[in-house]
Formats: sequence, structure tokens, C-alpha cells
Amino acid sequence: MRACPTQAIRVKDGKAKVLPDLCIDCGLCLKACQSGAIQATTRSFAEIDKFRYKVAVPSPVLFGQFPISISPAHIVAGLKDLGFDAVWDFTVELALVNRAIRDYVEKWDGPHPLLSVSCPVIVRLVQVSYPAMIDQLVRIQTPRELAGRELKRRYSDELGIDPDEIAAIYITPCQAKTISILKPAEGAKSNLEGALGISDVYNDMLAVTHSLEDEETNVPSKSLVCSAEMLRWSISRGQGSILSRHRYMSVTGLSNVIQVFDDIEKGKLRNIEYLECDACWGGCIGGNLTVDNTYVTLSKVHRLISGLPDSDPELEAEVQKRYPNEDFSLKGQVRPRTAEKIVGSLKERVKRIKAEEVVIKALPGLDCGLCGAPTCKTFAKDVAEGNARQKECFFLSGECAKQLRKTYLRKKKKRSEGES
Amino acid sequence: MAEELLKKVYQVHGRDFDKAGETATEIKKLLKDIGVDSGVVHRVVIIAFEAEMNVVMYAAEGTVTLVLTDEEINLEIVDKGPGIEDIEMALTEGFSTATDQMREMGFGFGMGLPNIRRNSDGFDIESKVGTGTTVSAMIRLDSSA
Repeated sequence: MRACPTQAIRVKDGKAKVLPDLCIDCGLCLKACQSGAIQATTRSFAEIDKFRYKVAVPSPVLFGQFPISISPAHIVAGLKDLGFDAVWDFTVELALVNRAIRDYVEKWDGPHPLLSVSCPVIVRLVQVSYPAMIDQLVRIQTPRELAGRELKRRYSDELGIDPDEIAAIYITPCQAKTISILKPAEGAKSNLEGALGISDVYNDMLAVTHSLEDEETNVPSKSLVCSAEMLRWSISRGQGSILSRHRYMSVTGLSNVIQVFDDIEKGKLRNIEYLECDACWGGCIGGNLTVDNTYVTLSKVHRLISGLPDSDPELEAEVQKRYPNEDFSLKGQVRPRTAEKIVGSLKERVKRIKAEEVVIKALPGLDCGLCGAPTCKTFAKDVAEGNARQKECFFLSGECAKQLRKTYLRKKKKRSEGES
Repeated sequence: MAEELLKKVYQVHGRDFDKAGETATEIKKLLKDIGVDSGVVHRVVIIAFEAEMNVVMYAAEGTVTLVLTDEEINLEIVDKGPGIEDIEMALTEGFSTATDQMREMGFGFGMGLPNIRRNSDGFDIESKVGTGTTVSAMIRLDSSA
């Protein structure tokens, strides 16, 4: 409950509830919750099986998850063994998006800084908490979405099948990207059919890749991951190399991003043109569906990058060919999500705020959370809005203590009985 | 006459760079909670922040008073500071009397007062050298940026 940066969780009768208007899909609750009450939304293998041709679109993060002896080629073989017909390398799409963003930044004459949209949590944070900055989100599609579009075009041509029979499945480092695929913030339809978490596929893949480790795989040597650009995307400051001529800044970790956004709102950050923001600390390698420790992954990614050329001529040629002919702009419109919360006239709203202030004065200010709200302030707000009663505060009534004892001591008893 | 709905007074302490910006943050939270249009909040926050910074940089202490009516938001910033000698000059973009030290901290680019004026629908400044300065800014609630 306290892990939630937008105070969207309330606990009533021992059960956590999420207020959907406030939730930004960041997944911090997933990491914090020990009991497994909150779970990530991903696809099951059964759902994917109904498609005729299944293509895995692995996030660059995947390549840093395995022991260093397992090469990207092994990882591709491992994905195919899971039942995928093909594995899509989106290095080209990454390069295309990088270029599109650079051009977007160069042409932009609106308010600065522009904000990256690759992390869906950031997009939702802006929608919910910083609606005045919504025009600063770069209106360029993400590489994963472009990959979905391109691979369907390519395989339906090559194989002569309907694009609807192809499933593009993202192998994701976090649940937020799954949600962005199933329910895009901009209201358009995603080019991907869903996502599997890295942690969903890791164990099966590890077994397969280990068995392949010693033999030469029949994956062509010109395999995935032939330039450093792709791997850089998975770590923070990844876009620095293409935007270094611009006033660029990278922020990772949701609380840090919120701090920087507050400064932007005050007009304090005047000299930054482009801000790359990731909700997870360290970038996507810190996602909540990853397996390996963020620091270990970072070290492995750096090692992989050092062994790769900065760019690849074949890839460069492909980018040159596709860039002028494709549309990279974001479909649909990202709209603020705060409007849903406004209830009553201005006068009534001010009255509610004043009532809230009266309630706060009566509360202990300890933010103990026993009432089910994360802070005394959010509790006061709930009371003023009629969603909670003041006597639910532990300090203001004995009834609350009784109720809590009933809920939690019984639960504990049940659990220990179950164990024995 | 517009009906006054809410009045808040915030204290700002001069030279307290550590806490500078807190008033602006509090005002932002308050107006967001009330559900004021986000474009209006944005402008009020910029005004409050710039004004707060002016107090922190030049004055010993000051107050920011926020008055919300059913039509507009009024901000009045009163400080006990050195006062401004040439107001016309102070309103010129880029003009600044900030010290190098202030600039090193990222302030004092001569955009404060011009920024306040640009973001408000009504603006007034009065100053007396040796006594202090009063800045008043008004933002209409129906005027999205």
C-alpha cells in the first residue's frame, strides 16, 4: 500500500483494492507484495497457440539475463524451442525510432523538455499527475510497436498468410508494457498480440539453452544483436548516443522522475531539450518481470556491447531504405486522465478541501496505515469524499482496533494451521 | 464582485535555498486537489515559484497569499526586501542583479518578473527601496494557456 507512488491502494478487511483512476501500472506493488495478492497480466501459452504463425519479439533486456556463456544465438534457439516459429530482431526498428526522435526533437518548437514514451508508466504518470505536460510526450511510436507492424507485413508476404493469423508476442521485462499492448494509452490498437514476461519463459529457456551450449547451433551466424544500438536501449542513458548533440538528460526510478517532473512544472528545468525517463531504476533491465539482478545484468550488457560494432553496414542500409517511406507517428491521442476525478462545482470542491483539512487536524499524522489508506492525508481525502469514515482511524475509535484484530489475527491463525 | 472561496497564506524565508520551491509545490497540490484546470495550475505554479525564488534570493522574509474566487486566482507576494530601484528595468527579460553565486545555483537569469507577468492575466508591482516589494498576479480560471 505504501509502495504505491500515486496512493492508489486501499486495504479494507485485509484485502487490497486498487483505485483504477490513479493507477499508472508501474508495478511497484508487485515487487512489494509478499503474499502474491497482486499479479502481473501476461499471456498464457495456450492463448498464443491459436495463432497460425507465432513470432517472438524479445526485448533487448532478455539478452542480458542469461549466463554470459549463453550467446544471443542460443537465446534465439531457446525461444524457438518454446514454440515460436520465428524470432524478430528489432534492431532496425530501434534505429528508425532513434532517428525519428532525433528529427522530432530538432523540429520541435513547443515547450521543453520533450519526454520519451518508451516506458508506458511515464506516459500514464503524465496522464494522471502532470496533464499540463501531455504535449511534451514525443509522438513517435515505440520500436516494439513498429516491429509488430513490420513483421506482420513481412511474414504475411513471404508466407502468403493473412496478417490476422500472425501473433507478435513481446517478451517483456515488465507488466506495464503488457498493459500498454492490451490497452494502449493513446487509444489506438496495438500491433502486438500480447506479451510473455521474461520470468515466464526464463526457466524453460534456460534448460534448452544449456543443452545447446556446447554444440554449434544451426542459427545463421548473422543472427540477432549485431550492433550495440539495440542493447543500449535496454539500459538507462541508452539514447544519449544519438541525442548527444542536444541538451539531453536521463532519469530512472519513478521517485526520481517525479522529482524532476515537479521541477519542470515550476519552470526550473529550462535547458533540457529531451528527457529520457524510465520508471524502473537503471532502465528496463530493472523491470519487475526480469530474473537477474539489475547490476549483474548491467555488467553483462556492457560486456556484450563492448564486443559489438557501433553500427552495422547492412543494418545501416536497411534503415536508410525504410526511414523515408514509413510513418512513425503515434496513432491516436494521449489524453489527460484527471478529468474523470472532478466531481461537483468549484464551490463544492473547495468545501471538500476545507473539510479534508479539518479531518487532518484530528488525525495523528503518523501515516500508520491501519485505516487502510497509505497516509493520514489520503485518509482525510477519502473521508471528505465520503469513501471512508473518520472512526476508521485507529486512534479515534476502539472499534477499529477490534475489527483489525478480528481480520488479521484470524488470518494469521488460519495460515499457521495451514502450514502444520 | 467575485466570491472568495479560499484564502491561504504561506511564509517564505529568505536565503533558504534548501526549501525554496516548497510553497509552489504546496500550491500545486492544493489546486490539483481542488480540480482547477491543469493549464491554469501550470501558470500559477510558475508564478508562485518565480516569486518565491525572488523572495529567497533577495529578501529576509516574505509571504505568498493565494486567494481563490469563483472566477480567478489571485497571488500576492509581499516581501521585506531591499526593494527595486528601477521597476521598468527589472521587468526587462535578461536583466538581473543576481550575484555570481546565485547564478551558479541556476537562478538569476533575469526571467523571474518577466515570467510572472507573461503568465498572468493581471499584474501589478509596487516597490519601495529599503522597505520591500509587493507583486500581485491574477489568473482567470477560464483562461487555459
